[in-house]
Amino acid sequence: MSSTKGIDFAALSLKDALDLAVLIEEEACERYEEFADQMEIHHTREAARFFRVMAGNEEKHRTELAERRSERFGEQPSAVTRAMIFDVEAPDYDEARAFMSERAALRAALRSEEKAHAFFVAALPKIKDAAVRKLFEELRDEEIEHQELVRREIAKAPADPNFPDDDFGDEPVGQ
Amino acid sequence: MDTTAISSASTFASKDFKSDLKPIWCPGCGDFGVLQAIYRALAAVGRPPHEIAFISGIGCSSRIPGYTTAYGFNSVHGRALPIAQGLKLARPELLVLVAGGDGDGFSIGGGHVAHAIRRNDDLTYIVMDNKTYGLTKGQLSPTSPKGSRSVTSAYGSLENPVNPLMYVLAYGASFVAQGTPADIPGLSAMIEEAIRFPGFAFVNVQSPCVTYGEEGQQIKAHKAVMKKLETVGHDATSRIQALDKAQTYGQELLTGVFFRDPNPPPTLGALVKQRHEALMPKAAPRERILDSFVQH
Repeated sequence: MSSTKGIDFAALSLKDALDLAVLIEEEACERYEEFADQMEIHHTREAARFFRVMAGNEEKHRTELAERRSERFGEQPSAVTRAMIFDVEAPDYDEARAFMSERAALRAALRSEEKAHAFFVAALPKIKDAAVRKLFEELRDEEIEHQELVRREIAKAPADPNFPDDDFGDEPVGQ
Repeated sequence: MDTTAISSASTFASKDFKSDLKPIWCPGCGDFGVLQAIYRALAAVGRPPHEIAFISGIGCSSRIPGYTTAYGFNSVHGRALPIAQGLKLARPELLVLVAGGDGDGFSIGGGHVAHAIRRNDDLTYIVMDNKTYGLTKGQLSPTSPKGSRSVTSAYGSLENPVNPLMYVLAYGASFVAQGTPADIPGLSAMIEEAIRFPGFAFVNVQSPCVTYGEEGQQIKAHKAVMKKLETVGHDATSRIQALDKAQTYGQELLTGVFFRDPNPPPTLGALVKQRHEALMPKAAPRERILDSFVQH
């Protein structure tokens, strides 16, 4: 469930919008890393590998956006913080499951890309600044491209086993 | 989506409170969201990690201090509150958080809750209420709903659950709230408020057990049924209203602050300081203290 706190989209400057986009990618990268760690701890290697790839993709996007921000605005201080965004592109914590299939991991990523797209779609009507609008439109469209990429991967992924992920009882690791 | 003005940046970020230890909870566990909410609340409060102590008991959720950069003590089953009270008495300047599960807090440690409340130490007690003993593989816990089937209740539990909200309100807790990891922004704001509250603050978090919990108790179900107290016309300054709303525990998922005493009573720490200052002028010098135990 994505949300923001303390952001006035109507007053958002291009610098703040770029910073916001960087933070959204950073949050998503960290969450995918967390998911990859969880999967490795619980012996779910294929999903772990996929989540690690997703973390790499998010980090790549973050770096690109950070470079654009740096070129345009240098070291000017940021007015937005991580405290202002919640799960915009990061998958929700309850998307992870021990022993989830590669296909299930891909579907979780797809839902996250859809969530991010919905975020930019919802924010766009509130934006007044033309440059910010252009950036958000670009980011919105990129989310569609990412969705297509994930859908293509889903089509190539091995079929799910004939039992639901929930059939696995993953017992807690000892104290 | 809240769209007020951009607020000022905090000195600390969530990542400053995240340790290198990787959580070993089952993927999908509600405690991941609770941990995230705690990181965010601590960042908002802005105390540095070395000024924070996190005390827990035993259980899945009691692993939480290790996942923060604060000082932590994963202590003894049910004994997090006595240890936290001792620490707060010895080091009143520390921000002391206490965490545990419903079994830790309302079964083996149940007796300590009442005393922590009546002493009113300035502690924030976060209970991750998952309605099962997850770590020991799914036995009935004090908050398991009546009829729950588990490894210790194959035909369904015959017992009514403990209601943690009624329990702490009845003993006079001055700050009582309930949240869910289905709403991390709401939960982090609630934990932040609990930390800032001067006195014993209790936050019950309905944190689903993904492995042994029932379908209707999972985060997706929470998202569908949760209702914020602020949307149902609740007056959080009224203990009577809070008790009334707390009775819905187990039937409805109400989130937010149930009770916030508008005139918080003095904390134990404040009373101790007051007593200390009153007795100090008449007190014997340190080197003469033994004299008070010696008959002349």
